[in-house]
Amino acid sequence: MYHHISLLDRWIQENNEFVNKWQQQQREGDSSNPGLNQTSLRWCSSKFTKLLIKIQGISPLPEHAQLELSVVYNSCVCATAQSQFTEAELLLRRSTERVLQMTDDEPPSLDPLVFWRTVLKSVKSKTFSSCILHLLCLQWAIWLASCQLKMIEAFQEDLRSLYETLCGGHGDGRKIEHKGKASDNILLLADPRQLVQLLQVCTLIAKGAEMLSEGQSSEALSCLQTASSLSAPRTLIAYTHHLSGCCLAHMSRPQMALQCYRKALETDARCVCALYQSMLIYRQLENTQAEIQALHLLYSTLMLPPVTELALPSAFLLSPSLLLGSQSLNSLLSVPTALSVLHNLAQKCVLHGRLSEGVEHYLDLLAILHSEEQQGCVATSQVPADVPHLPKVPELYLEAAAALLMSRRPADCMVLCEEVISTTQDVLPEKWVLEIEEQNESVTRDVNDRMAVLLWTGTASLLQGHCYTHLKDWKQAVIHYTRCINLLVRVCLKREGFQSQMTSSDAVVKKGTRLCILQKLKGLSLAGRGISFTQTDQLKEALRDLQLSLQASPEGVGAGLWLGEVLWRLGRTQEAAACWEKAWSVNKQSSAEGLPLYLQEPQSGPLLDSVELQHRIQELTPT
Amino acid sequence: MEGRCTVETWAELGISSSPTCLVNFGTDVFLCTGSDEVYAFNTQQRKLTAVLQFPGPVNDLVESYDKQVLFVPCRSGVYSLNLQFLLSRFQSSQASSCPVELKIPSEFLVVREERVLSLIHVGSILLILSQTDTSWLFSLYKTTKQTPTSKYEILSSISLPHVAQEDNELKGYVTRRPVLVCVYSDNTRPPYLSSTSSKEAKTLNQFHLEPVLFRNLFGIDSALVKSPVILCGLSDGRLCFLPLLLPGLQLRVLHHLEQPVVFVGASVVMKTSPAHAQCLVVVGELGRVVVIKREKSVAEGKYNTVSITEGCLPGPVVCGCVDKHNLYFSTGSDLFLLELSDGSQGSESQHRNEETCGALKSHTSLNVCRVMSLAEPVCGIAGEVELLGVSVRGQLQRITLPARTEVGCVVNDLLPAIGDVCERASALETSIKSKKQILVHLNHVLNIGILLIANQNSENNLPEEEKPIRCHAILNWNRLLQKESLNLTCVLNNSSPYILQQGWTLNLDVCPLSTSVSTGGESHSTTFSLPFCNLHPGQTIKVSLPLAIAEDKSFPVMVNCSLIFSLAGLLGEEQLLSSCISLPLNTLLVDWLHVLQVDCPTASHRTTISQYSSGTKDILKTFLSSQHNRCSGRGPEEVEGVLKQKEEQYSANVHVSLNLLRDTQVLKSSHIDLSHSISLLDWLLFEEHGGVKMGHQWDKTTYSSAVVRAQASNGDKIKLIARKVNVGKECLEREESPSILEVQVEGKSIEAVRGLHHAVLNRLLTLLQKASRTSASARGVYRLGLRSALHQAEHVLKQIQQSRILKAESFSASPRQMTRSVTYQELKGNCLL
Repeated sequence: MYHHISLLDRWIQENNEFVNKWQQQQREGDSSNPGLNQTSLRWCSSKFTKLLIKIQGISPLPEHAQLELSVVYNSCVCATAQSQFTEAELLLRRSTERVLQMTDDEPPSLDPLVFWRTVLKSVKSKTFSSCILHLLCLQWAIWLASCQLKMIEAFQEDLRSLYETLCGGHGDGRKIEHKGKASDNILLLADPRQLVQLLQVCTLIAKGAEMLSEGQSSEALSCLQTASSLSAPRTLIAYTHHLSGCCLAHMSRPQMALQCYRKALETDARCVCALYQSMLIYRQLENTQAEIQALHLLYSTLMLPPVTELALPSAFLLSPSLLLGSQSLNSLLSVPTALSVLHNLAQKCVLHGRLSEGVEHYLDLLAILHSEEQQGCVATSQVPADVPHLPKVPELYLEAAAALLMSRRPADCMVLCEEVISTTQDVLPEKWVLEIEEQNESVTRDVNDRMAVLLWTGTASLLQGHCYTHLKDWKQAVIHYTRCINLLVRVCLKREGFQSQMTSSDAVVKKGTRLCILQKLKGLSLAGRGISFTQTDQLKEALRDLQLSLQASPEGVGAGLWLGEVLWRLGRTQEAAACWEKAWSVNKQSSAEGLPLYLQEPQSGPLLDSVELQHRIQELTPT
Repeated sequence: MEGRCTVETWAELGISSSPTCLVNFGTDVFLCTGSDEVYAFNTQQRKLTAVLQFPGPVNDLVESYDKQVLFVPCRSGVYSLNLQFLLSRFQSSQASSCPVELKIPSEFLVVREERVLSLIHVGSILLILSQTDTSWLFSLYKTTKQTPTSKYEILSSISLPHVAQEDNELKGYVTRRPVLVCVYSDNTRPPYLSSTSSKEAKTLNQFHLEPVLFRNLFGIDSALVKSPVILCGLSDGRLCFLPLLLPGLQLRVLHHLEQPVVFVGASVVMKTSPAHAQCLVVVGELGRVVVIKREKSVAEGKYNTVSITEGCLPGPVVCGCVDKHNLYFSTGSDLFLLELSDGSQGSESQHRNEETCGALKSHTSLNVCRVMSLAEPVCGIAGEVELLGVSVRGQLQRITLPARTEVGCVVNDLLPAIGDVCERASALETSIKSKKQILVHLNHVLNIGILLIANQNSENNLPEEEKPIRCHAILNWNRLLQKESLNLTCVLNNSSPYILQQGWTLNLDVCPLSTSVSTGGESHSTTFSLPFCNLHPGQTIKVSLPLAIAEDKSFPVMVNCSLIFSLAGLLGEEQLLSSCISLPLNTLLVDWLHVLQVDCPTASHRTTISQYSSGTKDILKTFLSSQHNRCSGRGPEEVEGVLKQKEEQYSANVHVSLNLLRDTQVLKSSHIDLSHSISLLDWLLFEEHGGVKMGHQWDKTTYSSAVVRAQASNGDKIKLIARKVNVGKECLEREESPSILEVQVEGKSIEAVRGLHHAVLNRLLTLLQKASRTSASARGVYRLGLRSALHQAEHVLKQIQQSRILKAESFSASPRQMTRSVTYQELKGNCLL
């Protein structure tokens, strides 16, 4: 007997030693370093596993049960913290079964619910019942972390009673009533009381998010309201507010949603997801100024130096991020990268008349790209699919160039275009077959998407042409437009399954597709060349180009107006009038929508005065 | 030799098992060998300047983009060491010769991250690649301040999941460090870099790539923002790229090598664009090499693309590096060079390029083994390339390659060169061998010389027969074409322990014993030189030489044997012709007895036994009395007419004590008196005397009496008689049995009789000498007497010869007469023991 007790003492001592060492390491090392944390966690895990093997080496004894279960708890905490859920679950089950052998009950069933109920019933009166409760907490955590919300749901009653037991009477969960003198101070890696509180909140949040994604917004809302009243870390409370906002937004109550988002931000200023969601609501409400403002805020918040993970008491091993791993929640909490936000901001500014501001943002964006600063603002977590990605770098260049041209800085614009052209010219395909599929175009995994490269180069040439048009250097403009056209005709269109090539008019042009961009580019470049020819009085060439332009892209307003002008000059006044009428009828807004900045119709070229054209038509009709 | 790599070992840093790393900062080289220590080596002073001690093992060293800072990933994180600071520390304690030891404190720790596998520094960004259980983790760190010890803060990180490996085959490779390099597109670096890097510092992991290739590989986006692109070769074979400046850190896979990536680099710099590399080269551990180039041939309807050429190199590749045209890689057992450029600097060979585009050139071995790690190569003014490498054993080596254009041809040059060396070596070997042989030979020669000289000095002690190397001879009469000729068969017997090898010559110098006065004391010597080869111990050589044609020679004849060793034969030099070693052997004496032609015993001969009356008184003395039976003055007639010879008879006799003969084993067998006589004659005639032996044997049994009729060399008939005589009464008084044998020589020619007499005396003297050696000195008296008698006999012989020659030369008779009378007087007065 003496021998056993001394062995027990030694094991307790060993256990406590490990726990103390871990805590000491946490205090010393900066918790920001995940690598270091992982290392010490691995060390801890292996130590506890070894200790457990020693303890379980002898047949189960009631005196040892408490120690054994505590070591199992510690070991499982380590395993769970390393996301080794199945291992942890197996360990829990085996150890519990071992303890049950002492109570001489029949072997419990495989079903975890039945199993745990049996266990709880059979150990009710035992000294180590509290230890079993701790293990149940871990089981809960594992269910939560592995998103088995249904299991939690089914076990809800027992978990609630568990929560009440642990958080209720006793002040400190760590000091459970112990009878034996030896077992007075068995240290645990994570405080079960804190753990159960955290579990409670996280379960509610996860449940809310799940309900929200299933469309049960009001139920989700009530669930989240309960959660927000609980005592929990600030981030989690902010999450509850944010999620409530999302529920309200779903329930088409944008103003109330905005309120919730504000509450979330007030709780935790770093809750960028709330900021992002409110920006989306402003966009939805078409409050452009507010949207731009929100983007601004979002960007500056994202650019703030990252703060170390919110300090949970004594560096809690099982962090909320570990427990809240569900897909639906992640998508609700996700935020685009800072660069993406900045790009969004710049685009919005340019599109909504804040040109200089937008240009500045674009230039900032390019500068950041060239520096190595941007690596810091890349979110380390994977970005979900529904958050807009940053366009490819050449596209950013082209957008910036277009913005510069809009703000009447053709020289700068040309520099950017030149850069794109010089980079792409070696990679250009001589010929390209574009297969038009009925569904989505397959996005090639090739580093150099040749088609894209071709389009970029073409666009760069087009922008250069626009620049020369702006400078009224018609000859140069024609040269660059021609370059663009020559590039574009390298693309052959082919419908999948058909051998023959098809003309562009046969295709149903969908917005945003490659084909759409190609046709738009064709239209713009031909129109540009036509206009240039008009300026140099080469009316025949101008007429051909403008007609081709309209064929490629019927919604070209400029092309339509200028075709009318050419026809007018050629004396075909009736046709000219018809052209003009048709051009005016085109919905400018809808055609521009969804198109990148650089594919917008140039506003800087020679313009035709609509009033004067109207006047001409009126002069025409009475006669 | 031209066209060959030279390897110079600069420092020994102990054995290293883990991969080493080498970073070159101009004249300072830093290297780690997997231990806690990082060594700094100065290439100018060629010495270890410092040892930096880190708290854990260091496997990697990374230089900053501007070569100002050295990053050292260690157990607890990444240390950053400012080079200027370090060098100043080194210099402050430069005085002492031993390297400075610096313990790196933890304030140099700029990034706390464990399990750092690889890192790279670009601008103010430090990219650290670490590994978790399930994925690769790329972390970007950034420093704001420019101070070297300022901490880096994490900007962002991106992870790439491990490729699921079903087979454990690739698991071992996980330990290999991923390769990180940075690729720039443009000549002008991004603005944030230009401020800090004033001079173009070339680093091992930063490359400028040709813009078109860059765009093709890494996209327009990267090119537009002029983003540096991090290329990462992972140990699972993936080659990923990460544009640093593009929003959202996108890691993409460029290629899959299907084996761990060992090296990524860019090479092939054309003269047209000196700052840009034309191709990207990736090398896998098992030897797969991928060369990514711009497609040169732009056919109709196509656009610029990249061509990816895969090749296979000998594996396992341990490390590699590139210079402007070549890839160098080491497999541990050899260092190889792979030429990456097409070799065409202009457009004239465009056509050829198209054909050869698809294949890689073959690699060339540089014959340097055990290189584990390489620093970037330095190209010298003369076109030679210097590589710094660390060997398996932790040796810092400088490998100098010859001028680059030659390298391909070098192998072809090397082969004949190797042949040359081989030939030279074998020639040297044979010459050494032959010299050794000569030495051994000479040693033998010297040994033989010493042996013979020693024998000469102690000649008195050693009997003739016991000499280790000696000659003996056998005489033979030959009848050829009605002419009788005397052949001396000389036998050289080598009983020494040494072999007589090539170069030895047996020299036989034949000269008459007595020189005539008339020829002015000159000896009529004839020399026979008989070269021979390889006379092994115990072997003999027989040489036959004509001694004289009948009547041509005066006897006795001395044959001086000597061995001559000529150095000329040994060394083959003509100047040495004269230099030779001459070692005298024994001397052979060919006397009248030897040259006797014994007639076959017939009945008629047997009966004619001339009686001889002894005139001697003394018992113990052998008395020699030579009687002139006929008129002494008839000499001239004897010569002139053969018919007259019958009338003239000369005789001489020698008395020998039987005891003496018995003692000296001359009489071996019987006690019969007659046989005693026969034995004596046999001994005299057919036993070996003075090393010479008569050629044919005399069958003792056929002789019933002790009378031998023979023909002397000059053709005279001679009779030899041996008989027992009784000495006078005086003998009886003194001793009981004074038995004496008498040897009588009878002949018509005085010359022959004298010659034979002399010969018999000489033999008896030798016998006595031998006997004295064995028995007591009491017989010294005999000997003395015998010797003096011999001398006299010699003297007489000479005179006779002289007179004969005079006669032959038709001198006046009177002086000859006189001489003869004198001779006879002398002879009369001669008394022997």
